[in-house]
Amino acid sequence: MIGFLGLQLLKNDWLETSFLALLPTNEQQPEIESAIKQHNQLSNRKVIWLVGGVSADLAIANAKTLKQQLEDSLLFNTVTLEQSQQPYAKQYQALFPYRFQLLDASVRELLTKNPDDLLQQNLELLNSPLAQLQTAGFEQDPLLLFNRYFSGLQPIKLNLQQGMVLLADQQQQWLLLLTELKDERLQLDKLEALLTLEQTARSHLKTAGSELLVTGMPLFTAYGAQSSKQEISTVGIGSSIGIILLLWLTFHSVRPLLLSVLAISSGLFAALVIGVLVFGKIHLLTLVFGASLIGVADDYAQHLLCDSLGEQDWNPRKSLKFILPGLTLGLVNNLLSYASLSFSPFPGLQEVAVFSAVGLLVAWLTVVLVFPILLTGFKFQHVPGILKLTSFWEQHWPLWLLQNKRWLTVLMLVFVTGGLLMLHPQDDVRLLQSAPPELLQSAEKIKSLLPITRDNQFFLVTGKDETEWYQHEQALVQRLQTLQTQQNVQHFEAISQFWPNEQQQQQDYQLLEQTLLQTGGYQRYLTELGFDDKYITTALKQFAEAKSKVLSLTQWLAVADPVKQSLWLGCTAVHCQSTVSLTGIKGTAALQQLQDLPGVAWVDQVESLSSLFARYRIRASALLAAAFSLAFIGLALKFGIRNTLTIMSVPVVSLAISLAMLGWFHQLFSLFNLFALLLVLGIGVDYGLFFFMAGDRRVSTSLGVTVSALTTLLAFGLLATSRTEIVHAFGFTLTAGITTSLLCAPLVGFKRQKNDKYS
Amino acid sequence: MKLLLVLLTSLLTAGFARAEQLTLTDIAALKTNAPITQGSFQQTKQLKVLRKPLISNGEFTYDQSKGVIWKTLKPMKSLLLVNGSKLLTGQAQQAVPAAFCKVFTALLGNNIEQLQEGFEASAMGPAARWRVQLIPKDAFLKKIITKMTLLGDTELRSLEIVEASGNSTQIQFDNINHPLTLTPEQVADFERLSP
Repeated sequence: MIGFLGLQLLKNDWLETSFLALLPTNEQQPEIESAIKQHNQLSNRKVIWLVGGVSADLAIANAKTLKQQLEDSLLFNTVTLEQSQQPYAKQYQALFPYRFQLLDASVRELLTKNPDDLLQQNLELLNSPLAQLQTAGFEQDPLLLFNRYFSGLQPIKLNLQQGMVLLADQQQQWLLLLTELKDERLQLDKLEALLTLEQTARSHLKTAGSELLVTGMPLFTAYGAQSSKQEISTVGIGSSIGIILLLWLTFHSVRPLLLSVLAISSGLFAALVIGVLVFGKIHLLTLVFGASLIGVADDYAQHLLCDSLGEQDWNPRKSLKFILPGLTLGLVNNLLSYASLSFSPFPGLQEVAVFSAVGLLVAWLTVVLVFPILLTGFKFQHVPGILKLTSFWEQHWPLWLLQNKRWLTVLMLVFVTGGLLMLHPQDDVRLLQSAPPELLQSAEKIKSLLPITRDNQFFLVTGKDETEWYQHEQALVQRLQTLQTQQNVQHFEAISQFWPNEQQQQQDYQLLEQTLLQTGGYQRYLTELGFDDKYITTALKQFAEAKSKVLSLTQWLAVADPVKQSLWLGCTAVHCQSTVSLTGIKGTAALQQLQDLPGVAWVDQVESLSSLFARYRIRASALLAAAFSLAFIGLALKFGIRNTLTIMSVPVVSLAISLAMLGWFHQLFSLFNLFALLLVLGIGVDYGLFFFMAGDRRVSTSLGVTVSALTTLLAFGLLATSRTEIVHAFGFTLTAGITTSLLCAPLVGFKRQKNDKYS
Repeated sequence: MKLLLVLLTSLLTAGFARAEQLTLTDIAALKTNAPITQGSFQQTKQLKVLRKPLISNGEFTYDQSKGVIWKTLKPMKSLLLVNGSKLLTGQAQQAVPAAFCKVFTALLGNNIEQLQEGFEASAMGPAARWRVQLIPKDAFLKKIITKMTLLGDTELRSLEIVEASGNSTQIQFDNINHPLTLTPEQVADFERLSP
């Protein structure tokens, strides 16, 4: 049934690749969350392409070819090469009637200080051989007020050639192409198509003599997805081959091999199906972690299979009866660990928890319910070579350990203390994403050529109504201007820089009235320039008639460009909010201080996520401790405190050694390592338990544990090869932990055996 | 391609039309070859809405590698510093499309070959008083400038820019000379332009 359901489900789009989906929705402030969402919205689907060439003509020709290529791919909603002037014309017409209310900050300053300077500047512009643009509209706007305001709306001037944006550095001319992906969900096949497109475009352009720079969120996601996908297959194929080899060497029979495969695959399949059912989509990273589950699911199978060794009248049911308590306890333990994980707010971790728990449960069920039937009549036909090794190992290794326990204990204490002292947590969220260096270089280069890309950090401004919001934002704008002159930030954008509120509009009008109209300066200026009387009368009348005009924010926003529109978050019954975006941040500390202003909040997505990681690293440590206590109490109830201490020493020592190894090898230590340590706990308890309950079947138990540990190591060891820092750290932690568990576990029963002898 | 065509036509016509029909190549050959050109200018701007023209005059300096100093003395003092990529006024850098700056620098340098990149150029008249007409190729530049006319002999003597709005600018150059070095003041002005 699960199979059928699964096939139905997996037909749909079930694989999540977006990096953001892994992260928790901001727990404290939904407003900040929605502000972040809106802030990112513009960039989420955008891919920026720059085509370079030694001459503008070459770059233009190649950019046109690229445009065609991008359009043909059908991946994009829009492919923009020639900038349309239409929206500007519309905006110009809509705002022009309010020219006496919309003063540019520079004009306001001139009028306040010395109104004649404005007229003098106009005269200079009119006489300049190069001020065609600055004096455009002079016929209708002889004071050139609106021209200044309108040009101020686009503070960063891009150089247009034939309507295309042309950027230049020392060596090359670059043409800008902007594209927007059709689909916001960034499906895997679309991302792959995007990568292929990028690569073919790059090689095409190269033969045509052009360089290509590409950046954008979708591209980063695409590369991440691609590398995770490669890693899944490496880990999956690698561990499968390893496991098959190992099992063949051990059993010399196809049946155990097929059964192991059955246990693992049914576990993984069920995990996938239930995961998709619960979450709608499974993230690629979950699959990477999930692939390593193979090793744990295998524990159960190996334990039962190896138990058949050396028994004369072995039959699966009897054997199961014997090992069932150990298997079940192991399972319960693991499930408890995962249950604690699912309490974390990270969708990623919840997914991994559910995925792993379901996988293990089903693998366990397969072993317990299906194996006895399918194993009927199975018998070891030979003494496997590996058995000699494991039984030698089982007998001599613990003995050696016990004989040398004094100096070994000292050595271990020194090693663990030293390692722990060198352990430094790192919670930088950027470690989550593994982007190839070329992509990062392109992004950097594009940022320097095109200084319009917004930074991640921004301000959130709140006021109880529009008036208060305006005051708060204006206060922030003034402080930001100071920081801008101090080079703490290259550029910032706020609505109130461009839209004066009603009160300010009236003040601006009055300022003009007092400084230029009532003094007669305006009329004199017009006369001296050579306007005729009729024109002057009309101009004065136009000014008088404009007195009561008010441009509302809604009207202004309706014709604003999308970037400015995105700054406005809107008004609710309790407040009005906007964001102030920043470009080229250099001094984060100075900017952060502006939070002191009323109604101003500093939003740093990267920093806040990183601090969230730090908080959850601490919380996950508590969870780990709780999981340990739970396992301890559970075992203590069954076996008594003394025995439990013996069993639990395996995971405790493994955990200590894992952490110490992280320290010694300067590995990344973050939330995700703790997650690996939870697995170490589960596996450590398993091994301890199996040995504790082995009784006189220590030889087969040690074979089972060794085979299963080796398979697990195969899987996790491969994770350590990952290019993604956190996956690598995860693999490393587990490898260290499981190796230690394997080394410590034989001590458990051994000690008891010895005790038994003396008692 | 276009350049090739112009060159071809000029080669073909050169033989039998030399007497009255000048080519762009001829004009380029006539030009005094000097790295520095300076002189005075008088600019007359005709704006449709104004009954009288705006007249200004001053001095200019062109340096082949550095750009142009455009110093207006009347009716007000002002200074423009222009090179191929930017424009500085007395106060600060002005936002002017780089194409404008490039064209202006090329115009003052009488550099018709360079102007041919962005304009359709045609030559007329006798060598003693040649005339070159330039029409923008770029559709966006066309919306601002309809045509430009250059007049000269061994030097550029006058320049007329007709804007799409109907306004026009006429600049007359006088007292043209070619000093070997820049004055310290000119050097200081150009210093501000270099990045």
